[in-house]
Amino acid sequence: MPRYAQLVIGPAGSGKSTYCHNLYQHCQSVGRVIHIVNLDPAAETFRYPVSVDIRELISLEDVMEELKLGPNGGLVYCMEYLEENLDDWLSEQLEDYIDDDYLVFDCPGQIELYSHIPVLRTFVDQLKKWDFAVCAVYMLDSQFASDVTKYISGCMASLSAMIQLEVPHVNVLTKMDLLPSKSNVDKFLDPDARLLLGELNDQMAPRFQKLNKALAELVDDYSMVSFLPLDIRDEESIQYLLSHIDNAIQFGEDAEVKIKDYDADMGESEDAGNFDMGGEDED
Amino acid sequence: MSESDLDLSDAEEETPHAEMKKLDIQGKAAEASSSSKKPIIIIVIGMAGSGKTTLMHRLVAHVQESGKRGYVLNLDPAVTNLPYGANIDIRDTVKYKNVMKEYGLGPNGGILTSLNLFATKFDEVVGLVEKRAPELDYVLVDTPGQIEIFTWSASGAIITEAFASTFPTVVTYVVDTPRSTSPVTFMSNMLYACGILYKTRLPLMLAFNKTDITQHQFAVEWMEDFEKFQDAVESDKSYNANLSRSLCLVLDEFYQNLRKVGVSAISGAGMKEFFETVDACGQDYMQNYRVELEQRRKDKEQREEERKRVNLEKLERDIAESKGEPVVLASASKKDVLGEDADAADVAEEEEIYDSDVSGEVDDDDDNEDEKHYRY
Repeated sequence: MPRYAQLVIGPAGSGKSTYCHNLYQHCQSVGRVIHIVNLDPAAETFRYPVSVDIRELISLEDVMEELKLGPNGGLVYCMEYLEENLDDWLSEQLEDYIDDDYLVFDCPGQIELYSHIPVLRTFVDQLKKWDFAVCAVYMLDSQFASDVTKYISGCMASLSAMIQLEVPHVNVLTKMDLLPSKSNVDKFLDPDARLLLGELNDQMAPRFQKLNKALAELVDDYSMVSFLPLDIRDEESIQYLLSHIDNAIQFGEDAEVKIKDYDADMGESEDAGNFDMGGEDED
Repeated sequence: MSESDLDLSDAEEETPHAEMKKLDIQGKAAEASSSSKKPIIIIVIGMAGSGKTTLMHRLVAHVQESGKRGYVLNLDPAVTNLPYGANIDIRDTVKYKNVMKEYGLGPNGGILTSLNLFATKFDEVVGLVEKRAPELDYVLVDTPGQIEIFTWSASGAIITEAFASTFPTVVTYVVDTPRSTSPVTFMSNMLYACGILYKTRLPLMLAFNKTDITQHQFAVEWMEDFEKFQDAVESDKSYNANLSRSLCLVLDEFYQNLRKVGVSAISGAGMKEFFETVDACGQDYMQNYRVELEQRRKDKEQREEERKRVNLEKLERDIAESKGEPVVLASASKKDVLGEDADAADVAEEEEIYDSDVSGEVDDDDDNEDEKHYRY
């Protein structure tokens, strides 16, 4: 039976830690147990209870002070240090979490960690080896999706992280509650490729038409490129997002399989084509 | 306000900033530069560790040595040792460590807030550059170490727009060549660059740095031969073949719209080609981005008008409400200054720290202009 993990990533300030906090509260209120892991060595304070904290292994402040590194060099150092200690420190920390446990990893923002430096990829691979079902949750501030070119830009940024991690992923437009008007952003939540293309062609110079077309087709063909909205004040919004992620990692499905297996053992074959397990919470 | 009729071969734009108008910079500048070209702004962006600052150092030295006229801006508030001299340095105006301490921010928060603070003063920076524009060929701009602080922030957008609506502006995306030799890492990097292209809507050039370690020929081949790249990607990972094909198609189109050059900050290779590419991009801007430019200027003017109108209405309302009693006006929030681009969360911060933490003016380091010598 696997353990489950959400890897919460995205640019600095996009709302990762706030999401973790609100997700935790939401899960408490619906009776679900989740555990939050802090992987950001530069984090300062938490509003959520932290089950595992990278700062017990290494912290940015210490590294910067002792090794006289700047904030970037320091962060890279911390993450590479984590990579070297995955087998001992992390596996020890995660020992307490057993089958069916659900962990949420709050990650540092820097995109360099997902593109150039292999550390997060190595981390994900290791989790998978330990039988975790992992979903990457990419957070983007909705205030930066105010027009079509920015939206495309957001898709590209997300994709550039996603292709390195190679796990199921869900994109989230955060801070929907801070938007003065949701209508601007609505069209990006369920994009119509033709409209998108039209607007791109309006905003960009004519020489970009072919590129615009390729991008619009990409968005159309792959739902993985699209975003889900998140309004942290709205329990339904949080639940909707959670259900999507659960579905991506098939959380909740194994429980049913177990029961079915048991029935099968007792001589009743129940499993005829009954594959719509899980996702019963979905709207 | 300036007219919509643009003749970019001509001189100076008006600066919207009221203070600058008082100094009649506009008048003087117009006289001085009625027939001169504008300098090209080169915004140097790249992932942490790609070698931006080292490259800046090399670029600045090259500009000096080759007799071109350059102006240098440093926008990284957290850098401790800058190997080159900057004409305008964010660290003179905003003290990063103080910002972190006083507001209890972590290193990222500190850099972001420092940049936000500087962005509120950015009209002055543009004004200073405009003043010197007749004597300049290039303006080099170094950005904060973490790319997202510039590319995914309100202040980064504001700074870019401030330049782009006044000068031909080129974005140089610095690539860490040795680290990009794996096809998927390369693709990841290029996708991100594509995002920057769409965000800034400015001519983009790739500077493959560290060619002293790894030649960038492989990158050029991947960019010019779609099949080769696709084969490389598919053999690298057991990837969703359809997705990787679609991504390769996107990238193939993307490459048609940008220029590339290989450089080595350490050895100095590629400098001539770098500036030739910048010049080509600058031309591109003048010829093909004019429509963009007009739109940006119109947008900027509209925002100004809107802001004035809103403020006036507020004032009228306040007066009406107070019925003639003395009224306490709200202090200028960042939103008012910067419009809807301002990050809502930052607005509250800005209001508190605007006065005390930012030294009065943006300094233009006159002394530094002529004398820097660069050692390697």
